[in-house]
Amino acid sequence: MSGLVLALPVAVPLLAAGVLVACPGGRRAQRLITSAVSAGILVLSAVLLAGSLDGTVRGLSMGGWPPGFAIVFAADALSTLMLCVSAALVLASLAFAAGTGDDASPWFAPLAMILSAGVYGAFLTADLFNLFVFVEVMLVPSYALLTMSGGRARTAAGRIYLTFSLLASTLLLAGVGLVYGVTGTVNLGELAGAARQSTAAALAVGVVLLALAAKAAVVPLHGWLPRTYPEAPPAVTVLFSGLLTKVGVYGLLRVYAVVHEGTGLRWPVMAAALLTMVVGVLGAVGERGMRSILTFHMVSQIGYILLGLALFTRAGLTAAVFFLVQYVLVKAALLMCAGAVETAYGTDRTDSLARREPLIAAAFLVSALSLAGLPPLSGFVAKLGLVDAAATESDHLAVGVAVGVSFLTLVSMVKIWAGSFWGGEDPSREESLLRLMARATVRPALAVPALVLTVPSVVLGIAAQPLLTAAAEAAGGLLDASAYVRAVTR
Amino acid sequence: MSGEGGALAAALLSMGVLALLSPVLDRRLGRDTGYVLAVGFLVVAAVLAPAASTALDGGAVTFSHAWTDSPEISFTLRMDGLATLFCLLVLGVGALIMAYCPRYLTAGGRHGRTYLLLTLFGGAMLGLVLAGDLLLLFVFWEMTTVASFFLIGTGGARAARPAVRALLVTGMGGLALLVAMVLLGIAAGSTDLATVLRAREEVLDSPLSPAIATLLILAAFTKSAQVPFQFWLPGAMVAITPVSAYLHAATMVKAGIYLLLRFSALYSGQTGWVICLMGVGLFTAVLGAVQALREHDLKAMLAHSTVSQLGLLVAAIGVGTTVALAAAILHTFAHALFKATLFMIIGVIDRQAGSRDIRELSGLMRIMPVTATLAGLAGLSMAGVLPMIGFVSKESLFQGFAGADVFPGAGVVAAALAVTASVLTFAYGMRIFYGAFAGPMLQRQLHEPSWAFIAPAAVAAVAGAVLGPAVSVLDPLMRQAVLNAEPWAVPPYFAFWHGLSPELFLSALTIASGLVLFSARDRVDRMLQRLPRPDGAAAFDRVHSAVLGAGAVVGRPDRSDSTAAYLARPAAALVVLGCVGVFAADGPGIRAGAPSDPVDWGVLALLAMAVAALVRTRSALAAVSLLGAVGLIVALWFLLAGAPDVALTLLLVEVLTAMTAAFVLSDLSTRFPRPRRGAAAAALAGAAGLVAALGTLALTGRRELSPAGAYFLEAAEPETGGRNVVNTILVDFRGLDTLGEASVLAAAALGLLLLLPGQPDGTVGGPRAPYGRVLGPAHRLLLPGIAGLSAYLFLRGHYEPGGGFSAALVAGTAVAFGYLAGRTGPRWLSPRPLLAAGLVLGAAVGLAAMVLGDPFLTPFTIPVPGGGLSSPLLFDAAVYLMVLGLVVTVVDRLGAGRAEHR
Amino acid sequence: MTAAIAVGVLTAGGFFLLLRPGLVRVTFGFVLLGHAANVLLLAAGGPERREPPLIGDGDPAGMADPLPQAFVLTAIVITFGITVYLLGLARAEHLAGSGSRSGTGPEGPAESAEPPR
Repeated sequence: MSGLVLALPVAVPLLAAGVLVACPGGRRAQRLITSAVSAGILVLSAVLLAGSLDGTVRGLSMGGWPPGFAIVFAADALSTLMLCVSAALVLASLAFAAGTGDDASPWFAPLAMILSAGVYGAFLTADLFNLFVFVEVMLVPSYALLTMSGGRARTAAGRIYLTFSLLASTLLLAGVGLVYGVTGTVNLGELAGAARQSTAAALAVGVVLLALAAKAAVVPLHGWLPRTYPEAPPAVTVLFSGLLTKVGVYGLLRVYAVVHEGTGLRWPVMAAALLTMVVGVLGAVGERGMRSILTFHMVSQIGYILLGLALFTRAGLTAAVFFLVQYVLVKAALLMCAGAVETAYGTDRTDSLARREPLIAAAFLVSALSLAGLPPLSGFVAKLGLVDAAATESDHLAVGVAVGVSFLTLVSMVKIWAGSFWGGEDPSREESLLRLMARATVRPALAVPALVLTVPSVVLGIAAQPLLTAAAEAAGGLLDASAYVRAVTR
Repeated sequence: MSGEGGALAAALLSMGVLALLSPVLDRRLGRDTGYVLAVGFLVVAAVLAPAASTALDGGAVTFSHAWTDSPEISFTLRMDGLATLFCLLVLGVGALIMAYCPRYLTAGGRHGRTYLLLTLFGGAMLGLVLAGDLLLLFVFWEMTTVASFFLIGTGGARAARPAVRALLVTGMGGLALLVAMVLLGIAAGSTDLATVLRAREEVLDSPLSPAIATLLILAAFTKSAQVPFQFWLPGAMVAITPVSAYLHAATMVKAGIYLLLRFSALYSGQTGWVICLMGVGLFTAVLGAVQALREHDLKAMLAHSTVSQLGLLVAAIGVGTTVALAAAILHTFAHALFKATLFMIIGVIDRQAGSRDIRELSGLMRIMPVTATLAGLAGLSMAGVLPMIGFVSKESLFQGFAGADVFPGAGVVAAALAVTASVLTFAYGMRIFYGAFAGPMLQRQLHEPSWAFIAPAAVAAVAGAVLGPAVSVLDPLMRQAVLNAEPWAVPPYFAFWHGLSPELFLSALTIASGLVLFSARDRVDRMLQRLPRPDGAAAFDRVHSAVLGAGAVVGRPDRSDSTAAYLARPAAALVVLGCVGVFAADGPGIRAGAPSDPVDWGVLALLAMAVAALVRTRSALAAVSLLGAVGLIVALWFLLAGAPDVALTLLLVEVLTAMTAAFVLSDLSTRFPRPRRGAAAAALAGAAGLVAALGTLALTGRRELSPAGAYFLEAAEPETGGRNVVNTILVDFRGLDTLGEASVLAAAALGLLLLLPGQPDGTVGGPRAPYGRVLGPAHRLLLPGIAGLSAYLFLRGHYEPGGGFSAALVAGTAVAFGYLAGRTGPRWLSPRPLLAAGLVLGAAVGLAAMVLGDPFLTPFTIPVPGGGLSSPLLFDAAVYLMVLGLVVTVVDRLGAGRAEHR
Repeated sequence: MTAAIAVGVLTAGGFFLLLRPGLVRVTFGFVLLGHAANVLLLAAGGPERREPPLIGDGDPAGMADPLPQAFVLTAIVITFGITVYLLGLARAEHLAGSGSRSGTGPEGPAESAEPPR
């Protein structure tokens, strides 16, 4: 397949957004368009992924101008893997939004399409300024979706989310400016190894990394995420969880691998990774609501991925990429469970769900155990990979922290399970819940997306090897970026 | 891979299938599903029988299948003598428990989940003892933990806390095991269990060795309920009795014992290992026995008794001699038999008499003689009385402890402690039997349970009695297990009767002292009740809530509603980065750039004044004006820097921003609140400003024109026909940026539509516009001019400053003006058509190039009468539409609210 | 030198406003920060070349680097879009806070989602 198709994941959703704005039609028509587009991109990215497993990197110079002057898209194993999982997540979120009714507004679908175009573009571009643009294409719809339909709590959260993201974006822009100031280029390929060759370039790229870290919610730049995500409409939280911070993480992986060639920042990255893991999980165990716990957790998971980046070995990067992919799906399933409960009961602080909502309970259970890294689920393979990689590097502090954080993850998942799914010890609560029971159950339309997303948890654990192979290929592309660099410069 | 190897996998698979079948069976058979499962367990045992016979001949049957490459997990199963022994326990006791369940569980209820979990557990436990790969061992280990959690949870709401305690304690041990396995794999260079166990030298020489041993011990101690983790096991008794009997007496708690036995091949005899295992084990043995003696609940007594017996096993494994190891292996077997029996009997009593409290039970011997006899047999075995198997294993244990030699006199101390624990065991054994069965008959309506209910207990009890005298039957199995645990050992033969040995004397002493203790039971009881109770569960709960509390503290800064709390962190991070930069900057360092124009200094002074005034003012109106002034000065700056396009655009943006701000501010208080904590903010802002200035100074203006810049200056006209290079970059060279930028505007417009509810009539502007009378005519007059200017800017963009963006902004001012004048625009001049057309046109122009076989956004010309329409122009038109769409939306949604508010 | 100082002044002013309460002032802070980033971007092109990059209008040797100008234009537009949305959010916050207008309450009735006609 030629590189020409690389533009489709950006162009088609934007076109679809235009069509959706023009003729909103019924909700059914909107759902048909959005899911067809997302499914198409999922298939396309799966084909691209299959084609990149042999190390091929496809490049596309926009407008046919010479690379280096044009904006270049590149698809290697990492990019296509991210594309795949994002498209799958968009599809799942749209299905879930149809269940929760979050897609009631005619503006929801076009905004979701623009957002997804931004995400795909960010994963594909090999141009720092273009990355900034696509991050904005992704963020501006997210502002709108977060604050959807207003209300005091949501606008307050929206204000924090928006201002923080905007500050990070401004930093990113300034960083790109400084990079251009030092090197005279914003093409990632031409920047290969720049940070190793000059301190000035390293500092300029440092600002870019700082901005990406803020977008990825790396501690101490994480506070906005647990504060704002739980306030979003349930389906929007799912959409955000799998896409937004992941763009930041992807950016960190790519830029650090290409521009720093994976060296020079081992200790700062490791410190950030461990701190992020610990603070994220502690914050999670301290929260009360289901969604709050789950969103605070996201911070901790970012730390795990950074751990692999800090190690920058084949095993570490493979584990980090594997972790990233499976965790996006697992976390989405968990947030769908919480969102389904919230939609049906009006709150996520319920109890006795194990008895009343067996489907949700099953979906939650599998995903929570996977998140906690219990075998034989996907989260186990991911955590084992990271622990193994850290131990091989004799980084015993990292091993200890990873395992300790894993334990606290279990604590937090058990907190949810014992509180919301067993629970019911408090007789006064029981009484009020009896009334709730009378009127509320989770409709199948709400439970099915979460159940479907538990399938990868199991499959990626028991049959982990195919994804591990893809992740290893992605890791290889980060370890040795020369093929990527060739594809985007030529 | 032999056929026997396949049998191992088949056995595990069958357990899984059985588990999945059990809910289905439950729907048809109800509680009698247990009988089917019991048969299933026996069939699985039969499947394993050929492999077992190979194992007993000293061979090992293996099955291997790759799971993952990196991290490497291999699905390797391996059956040797030690594994055979544990398989026998898992499947044998499992079959008995399954046969016990149907009469224990309530009739008519749904038990599918219980059966499913029990069978799954059985499968996991089987996998655990068969695992031939370090990580696979961990996998099954964790699965038993999880199964245990949910089985405890079947006890209802009151079971939640104990279940959580059990899960977290054993889960912690599980993670220790994970690290141990990973490190062991590194130290031994392989994750294959058999290979690792052969690599004793390499492992012991590795610097990781002490850590591995510590972690293994931690894992074993949590699973096998050793001090200080013992508290979870009595708590787990809230589960139904079959679960307590199977998991928390016979098998799962033995997983720790299995682990220690397995890795004895590496660590047996190492001083730290010996001291740790013997010390903790014997302490646990005595403590558990004391605890058992003071309980009144039969099940609680048995739970503490299990803790105590596990302590003896751990200690015996720790001794490091072959005799002691052999004793531990035999006692593991014996304990499973008598403890499972006792649990089943207590379940029977509970069901028949409705209580497990010895203060409420009495005289059951007359009503249930058979039950009492079975309880007596098992109790004697537990107490180590002739002729039970417990007697043989207890004697062997004494013999083993007496041989301890880790320090001089260790044998005496160990034997003394073991005897103490055994004395207490005898006493609580008597207490159990006497409490339930002796005394006056209180509940006359009771009767002997059905034979089906007690048959499983009877099988185990009789086996315990028969296998005492016939212990040599077990020799092949036991000796092979010993050999597998310590490959260098010369395993002993077990004998029922050792003659008048010191151990016999110790046994006699045990029984005599136990009888004394029992006869003084009232005094002992009073004394024991006064002793402080070590409450591990409460301590655990305290730590648990402390962790949750700490979490709440960590999360507290992130519950603030103030934006400053969040925005200060990136600012501070930037300052830190700047400090690092100042120290790291080598080579050129920071130097003054080229001498600046005096005009620049003048503009800079103006800028500084405007910014200073802006940050100080508390008047909203002044702030809007000053912000506009800053914008003008920056635009002037851009003009001086040779960027007329940027200056023009900025100017237009400033006008529209000011307009929007005025719309919004008319709603808001016109005075800003008095600032607080201004000094800290000023310091941080000042530092950030300094860093930004230093960064700009150090990192810009130090190189020649970039190759890209040079290319654009050179290629713009020949390649695109445009003379305004900046515009050619926007619509030709980097059109994708522009498409993205326009999409951002479209998204912002859609966001406003989503955020702010629409006007009832949905039109732009409205009849209630404030200045209609004055502005109406003016608007009519100016509209053609503004429209013309907009068209002119749009069309000349490729050659002179202008382009779609600025042209649309100009048109936007006309719309805003029209709104203020109270004029309603045409229908198409509303957000939806503009945004839709812009998005579709922008993407379609780019995609059209692909249809022609070129990359996205490649320029092309559409032949039209009178020349060609170039695609960049269409693209620019898309941008125009989206920009105008946003402006119209702003006027509609923000302006409208203002009008209504007046 | 002057560019660096201008960036510093705008950054300091911007951050100061960012750390104040009130969304409108925060928005103004972002406008200043946006200016700072744009001045920085132009400076990154090299401050010595100051002729507008219009072919045929001057000496090509003195023409400013056009690429940063294109970047700045894009960035200005994006900042504009976000600024406008921020101000809209300030309005929505005000409405939600004062409850002066129906339709933006916590439950957000359906008409908030209605398209304009």
